[in-house]
Amino acid sequence: MSKVLQITLGIITSIGGFLEIGSVITAAQAGAGFGYKLLWAILLGTLCLVFLVEMSGRLAAVSKHTIVEATRARFGFPFFFIVTIGMGIVAFLVLIAELGGIGLALQILTGIGFPWWAVPVSIVVWLLMWKGSFSLIENGASLLGLVTISFVVAAFKLHPDWSSAAHGLVPSLPGDDKAKYWFVAVSILGASISPYLMYFYSSGAVEDEWDETYIPINRVIAGIGMTFGGFLSMAVLVGAALFFYPKGIQIDKFEQASLLMTSALPKWGFFLFALSMLFACLGAALEISLAIAYFFAQGFGWNWSEDMNPSRDARFAFTYTIIILLAAVPLLLGIDPVKVTVISMALTSATLPLAIVPFLFLMNDPVYLGDHRNGWLSNTVVSVVILISFVLAIISIPLEFLGS
Amino acid sequence: MDSILSWIGTAGMTGEAWLRHTTPDKYSAQTLQLSSETILQISTELLKSPPPSVDSSALDSTITRTRQHIAEMARLVQAKNSPAFARQLDSLRADQKIVKQFSDSIEAAQ
Amino acid sequence: MKVVHDVLDKELIDRDDEPIGRVDGLVMHVGERSQPRITHIAVGGTALWERVHPAFARLSKRLARIWGPKRTEQVRIPWSRVKTAGRDIKLDVEGKETGAIDWEIWISRHIIKRIPGAGGDEEDDGSQS
Repeated sequence: MSKVLQITLGIITSIGGFLEIGSVITAAQAGAGFGYKLLWAILLGTLCLVFLVEMSGRLAAVSKHTIVEATRARFGFPFFFIVTIGMGIVAFLVLIAELGGIGLALQILTGIGFPWWAVPVSIVVWLLMWKGSFSLIENGASLLGLVTISFVVAAFKLHPDWSSAAHGLVPSLPGDDKAKYWFVAVSILGASISPYLMYFYSSGAVEDEWDETYIPINRVIAGIGMTFGGFLSMAVLVGAALFFYPKGIQIDKFEQASLLMTSALPKWGFFLFALSMLFACLGAALEISLAIAYFFAQGFGWNWSEDMNPSRDARFAFTYTIIILLAAVPLLLGIDPVKVTVISMALTSATLPLAIVPFLFLMNDPVYLGDHRNGWLSNTVVSVVILISFVLAIISIPLEFLGS
Repeated sequence: MDSILSWIGTAGMTGEAWLRHTTPDKYSAQTLQLSSETILQISTELLKSPPPSVDSSALDSTITRTRQHIAEMARLVQAKNSPAFARQLDSLRADQKIVKQFSDSIEAAQ
Repeated sequence: MKVVHDVLDKELIDRDDEPIGRVDGLVMHVGERSQPRITHIAVGGTALWERVHPAFARLSKRLARIWGPKRTEQVRIPWSRVKTAGRDIKLDVEGKETGAIDWEIWISRHIIKRIPGAGGDEEDDGSQS
């Protein structure tokens, strides 16, 4: 495949695969609760993600190792095990949320409650991983995810006041509801900076056999793809700010969020929302299941290629099978995926240092990156944003739970 | 109180969306039902320790009336009766204003 | 001699260039008058979990007794079988012979292949094509 085609495909899949239940719900809550005021959180989170994804690709291209492989080799098993447990638990919660998102999308389309969808959805997701190849999953789900561009169309059709919106890009202090403001900000950061995306991206780069010649391509894909993805999140926030905020409607349940595009796109808005959530969450569920399985497989040294038949990477296949089965259980019990989403996004923020600090060490290690180590800009941006996310998370999560 | 207003607003928006034929019947009926139930839950909690600055029995009856409108709207969706639905929606809007007044006076007193 | 830190946790590649696991532990010989040297590479099982906490090692022993390939001893690869040790550790022995992929073969045969669509037509050795 020519390099231009690869870049194009990489950007398209980054955009199509960007939104998932976390980014949509947190952006919708932000817009509904605070108008444009939290746009800065999406900006900050996306900026950090651009750098992190670029770094993930560069590590894979130069060292031919995934982040997980390099983490264990560099830091030893005991530390690696701690990271695995931390990341694994949070990622598992996000997986529950995504599977729930697919179920909720089906619920609003059919009227059949999401717990009934838990088992069928898990089976479909599992089957796609069992029989599918890496390209099918990565590209297929992301191409379907392009339907999320409808959020941008809807936002434009509502005629936002662009200068007011632009003010939201600058961090500002909240008026009322301070605890909730910072909590939603933290959730947005956790939704934007998804570690599982990094692990998935670096595994894909190794699976596609990237080498140093891919470094410029990687930069373009990460830069443009993630940036446009960030615009999608912002479009959800803007849409919510125009549709829900003036009417004092808070987004506590999926059913409320579903109305988002019904005035901007009267004929199709409702269905586009449902389809967007369906495909976005499907893609995310596949990615997260793989990311968790990669963690175990790469960390313990098992075969892990997604292109292999399951009988040839048995432990890897066994891992993702168990994970998906277990993730369906809370949904069967009727636990609200939106609640799980909000909690898991906040927890992601709180546990970011666990994933990112070792990663930064790797990115500055000549053994793995040679001449392609991080420059001061990458190190600074990522460190600052992670620090902000962590501090905000530590403060706002207890406050939010004490308040409610 | 903000939550109650949020769900009354939700019911209103769901109603408008259904009248404009932008949402399916099942979804609209279920969401209206959900709104009504959620408002009941919240108001029951609220009225256990009612705010001192308002007449809590008046608030209670307004909220009850509001819920009845919403529940009726849910039934009318399934009956596909748009004109009656529109009338209920208007009543809902009127009730929403009253609840908002309650909310404002509670806030002012705090 | 290779410093322990350079060997531990590195990926193990067998004679056929297949990854078969990671260096989970090392067996050293400490002589009276000689430098300590690595005698064996340990793979899997208690060697790995000992490094986190002995309780995990006990748990892993119990699990291995009731489930999976019935191995009684730790998988050990003599240091003499190491060809090169750089970013990865290359061995001159076939993966199957070392016992390092016993669990992989066991899970493949007893669980994965029982599920339709697992693609178990190839040689039942757990290696890649």
